[in-house]
Amino acid sequence: MSEASQPGTKRTESDRLKKGGTFSSLMRRPEAGAFLVMIVVIAAIAFASEGNAFNPLGLKNNLSVIAQFGIIATGACLLMIAGDFDLSIGSMIGFAGMSMAMMLKWGLPFGLGEATPVTAFFFTLVMTLALGWLIGTIVVKSKLSSFIVTLAFLFFLRGLTEVCFRVINSSTQISGLPDYKEQSWFAYMFGGEAFGFVYDIWFWLGGNLNRAGNQWVTGLDARVVWWLLVAALAYVVLSRTQAGNWIFATGDNRESARANGVPVDKTRVSLFMFTAFCATLFAACQVFDTNTADAAKGNLKELEAIAIAVVGGTLMTGGFGSVIGVVFGAITFGLVANAVFFIPAIDGSYYRVFVGVVLLTAVFLNESVRKRITGGL
Amino acid sequence: MAEPLIRAEKLVKRFGPFTALNGIDLEIYRGEVHALLGDNGAGKSTLIKVLAGVHQPTEGQLYVEGKPVTFQSPRDATEAGIGTVYQDLALNPLMSVTRNFFMGRELTTGPQPFGLLKMDEMDRITHDEMVKIGIDISDPGQAVGTMSGGQRQTLAIARAIHFGAKVLILDEPTSALGQKQQMEVLKTIARVRARGDIAIIFITHNEVHSNLVADRFTFLALGEVIGKGTKEELKGKDIRHLMAGGVEMADLEQEIAAI
Repeated sequence: MSEASQPGTKRTESDRLKKGGTFSSLMRRPEAGAFLVMIVVIAAIAFASEGNAFNPLGLKNNLSVIAQFGIIATGACLLMIAGDFDLSIGSMIGFAGMSMAMMLKWGLPFGLGEATPVTAFFFTLVMTLALGWLIGTIVVKSKLSSFIVTLAFLFFLRGLTEVCFRVINSSTQISGLPDYKEQSWFAYMFGGEAFGFVYDIWFWLGGNLNRAGNQWVTGLDARVVWWLLVAALAYVVLSRTQAGNWIFATGDNRESARANGVPVDKTRVSLFMFTAFCATLFAACQVFDTNTADAAKGNLKELEAIAIAVVGGTLMTGGFGSVIGVVFGAITFGLVANAVFFIPAIDGSYYRVFVGVVLLTAVFLNESVRKRITGGL
Repeated sequence: MAEPLIRAEKLVKRFGPFTALNGIDLEIYRGEVHALLGDNGAGKSTLIKVLAGVHQPTEGQLYVEGKPVTFQSPRDATEAGIGTVYQDLALNPLMSVTRNFFMGRELTTGPQPFGLLKMDEMDRITHDEMVKIGIDISDPGQAVGTMSGGQRQTLAIARAIHFGAKVLILDEPTSALGQKQQMEVLKTIARVRARGDIAIIFITHNEVHSNLVADRFTFLALGEVIGKGTKEELKGKDIRHLMAGGVEMADLEQEIAAI
């Protein structure tokens, strides 16, 4: 108080905002917590697996799981920042996988003949985007909580997937499809390999050897590329574009966004379509990689996607979050989910114990971040 | 008298069986502060929502600069030059000052809506516009949640003016503030009035505040205008009596004394 009473120093309202250094402003970023957790997990897993988690094959397998998580969690993150949830992501994955595999096995609907990977994918994408649009439109028009509407679609789509499988295929699985990625560049884009050059260089440098002394791993799964693309695109859209400002505005205070002319409804519906797109991408990578489909695919993935988004610093209440944080969160979750393969001593179910603990910690952390931003009320 | 900037003619707004506005006439002039007074439920909020394009009137006609207008949405009203600063200010606490300032009207390069934000230019404009009406924010990147109530009012007003508001509707701008900040807001109103080209509709419960800044008064009760006039015309009349919706203060004093 003594400075305020000194003559000549006029304190204004804006002087009350403390300006911190680079470090404290970094710590105020939404992804700060996720970054620290990721570093700890990487170190712990590298140590416990004696480096095996990051050998050529370990890296490939880990990144494959990380990319899967990353793709759907990015969709969930943008949607949550806009203030909505999508519990139908997992069922949408199952539905999209079923749709693609069924078309490839039994031909296109309406007697349009044989399906190719291209037509199977785009037919499916049209359907899933339409479903995303429908979910979004119901949420927006009914003014019901997206939690309830998408919960309904969680059951509806999973049931529909199983029924379609039984009626047309008389089994809830499809396996033994031809290996499309061998013949079709389009299928290879989803199910093939990428970043082969990294492994070539690794081999050339004297690593990446199998027991016979030949090159061991030839590349990462193609889904890693999709994950990086989706994350990069989402990052630019969210933090650098007008659409991003609309997403933040919609989630922070919907009514004030509307009053300022933000197309709130369009933004929300588009984001439901985006999560449906992410689910379809997830399914396409899975189908064209393994050439199988199963009615149970994608089960519980919606909850993992939400958990990753929250751990990545996204507020449950909307209006705040970060795509970079989701990248960190996906790496963390992917490594822990896969840890059992590299550390045989542990029980795989510890993954869920970890998820529970980290999720709760993240929520507390996010809450304190929100309080710091809004002035501690 | 010059053509009013906004003229409302026999505005009626019904919500089902409930008549919120029952034939309101209103004239708003350039460069004036027009105080809209009335008790809770008098229809002030409904009236400004009709002016702001949130509600469509059931009957009656709005004129802006003499031309009849029909607002289908708040956007129409904004485009016609009517900027509304609501009680909740339509600000988003988690977003930065600049992002709030340009919310829904971002400056971008590239195809809509994925055009890149021109962040530097928007920061500069936000800072300059706020300085013009009296507040120098140090960091346009700070979250609105960290600002004081008076600063937020200023932000909302500066935003409305920047986006071409010829008429500024201030919905109880002083109601949720402390004494000192109330005075800040009144000063801001006076600064905007001094520009001379903007009309302000000032909704308030506070007789003292309205007397400090208003040029013209309209009193509402039960959805109807029960009194109007300029400051001079109203001199000597019992403003408090009109504000209370026509209830006699003396009667009230007796009633209270009798309890």
